[in-house]
Amino acid sequence: MIKHDILSASWWKYLCVVFLTYTVVAGFLMPAPAMEILHETIRNLYFHVCMWFAMMFILTVSLYYSLKYLNKPTEDYDIIASQCAYTGLVFGILGLVTGSLWAKYTWGDWWTNDPKLNGAAIALLSYFAYVVLRNAMDDEQKRARISAVYNIFAYVMMITFIMIYPRLKEVDSLHPGNGGNPGFNQYDLDSHMRMVFYPAVIGWLLLCSWIASINIRTERIKRHLLNQ
Amino acid sequence: MKQVLAIMQRELRHELRSRKAWLAILLYTGSTVYISYLGLQNSVSATLNTQDASIHNTIFWLLIIFISMFATSGSFAGRESEMFYIYTLVSPSRFILARLIYNGLFLLSVSLLAFFCFQFFIGFNNTNLILFLLTLLLTVWGISSLLTMSFSIASKGGGGFTLMAITSFPLLVPLLITAQHLSEMTITGSDTTGYGGYMAALLALDAIIAALCYVLFPYLWRD
Repeated sequence: MIKHDILSASWWKYLCVVFLTYTVVAGFLMPAPAMEILHETIRNLYFHVCMWFAMMFILTVSLYYSLKYLNKPTEDYDIIASQCAYTGLVFGILGLVTGSLWAKYTWGDWWTNDPKLNGAAIALLSYFAYVVLRNAMDDEQKRARISAVYNIFAYVMMITFIMIYPRLKEVDSLHPGNGGNPGFNQYDLDSHMRMVFYPAVIGWLLLCSWIASINIRTERIKRHLLNQ
Repeated sequence: MKQVLAIMQRELRHELRSRKAWLAILLYTGSTVYISYLGLQNSVSATLNTQDASIHNTIFWLLIIFISMFATSGSFAGRESEMFYIYTLVSPSRFILARLIYNGLFLLSVSLLAFFCFQFFIGFNNTNLILFLLTLLLTVWGISSLLTMSFSIASKGGGGFTLMAITSFPLLVPLLITAQHLSEMTITGSDTTGYGGYMAALLALDAIIAALCYVLFPYLWRD
């Protein structure tokens, strides 16, 4: 049951390789603006920030397919939703690791009480719960339906938290560009950085989709073999 | 509306009839508060410094979560057999509405009890009691809807209490962070000028959780 669709096409995977090679090479070699506190760690923008973009992207895809599943229960929607969520979890962990390493050298600590870190922790915990929930159920249809419900619930709560919490008084983020910290918001991200950052975002999004597509296709084959 | 009231009435009757359930909640509340009191003895005094106050605050909210969780899982557990009849009688949206309201009121009374116990043994010196109680009300309301939903999810998943804890803890964090900020303002006696934003955030969270329950519950309804 090998489907030939966009997931098995190869052109965008070549594109991913090109973009990411460029990101790594140019990310380390191109000039970066000298800013206090950040210095050369500013290059983490090409890796850390992109991980979160990739995570949010793939979790949104997962949400979309969960919604589609509830609307019209189809096994394939469940496969896509679950595998995208798992991939999102991987990128979330990568985001935490890259961020934690960076924070150790910039802020002097692995973890701080920062609104963005709390948001990330909630996202990861709730998607770990999603994995546990899926593994607790054996019946395929029931598992698909219930985990779709939980996926929607968790996603909306996560987004709400990310939107509301940083706006409250007294909780300023330590992140570059927040609360008077030097950083790279849209005005002072200089043109050299943009030349690497935008391709880097596309490259990591493509890599994320690539990993997800492999997961999805493997899962399709597994289900197919099980049903035989 | 009649149906909603009927379901709530039925839940209440069931609760009162099973003496074991509410005695267990009383005992659970009393003993957890008392254990915290024993642990906190060194820092119990009429005037708390800021650090002690924030420890008390944290423990208070932890107690609230665990008591709510215990109460929710106890009051709905082991009733799958009756559900069979309810399926045929009411629509899922009416049923969830009744459960949200009932469970909200139920947990509110339990948490008020917990608050009185806490006040009695350990004692907050609240500078603004109304604000504190309002925070408690809004937070517990949100907690109760979230737990109702995650209890439905967990019981369908066949995982019981563990699964309920795992699925609800991460989602409780936003509510609890906001609640802690608010109650810390009233306990430590720092200025409460910024409370409007937090209150709005709590209200928004409550509304969103309730809306999600209402929309998503029908999909958990039947097998």
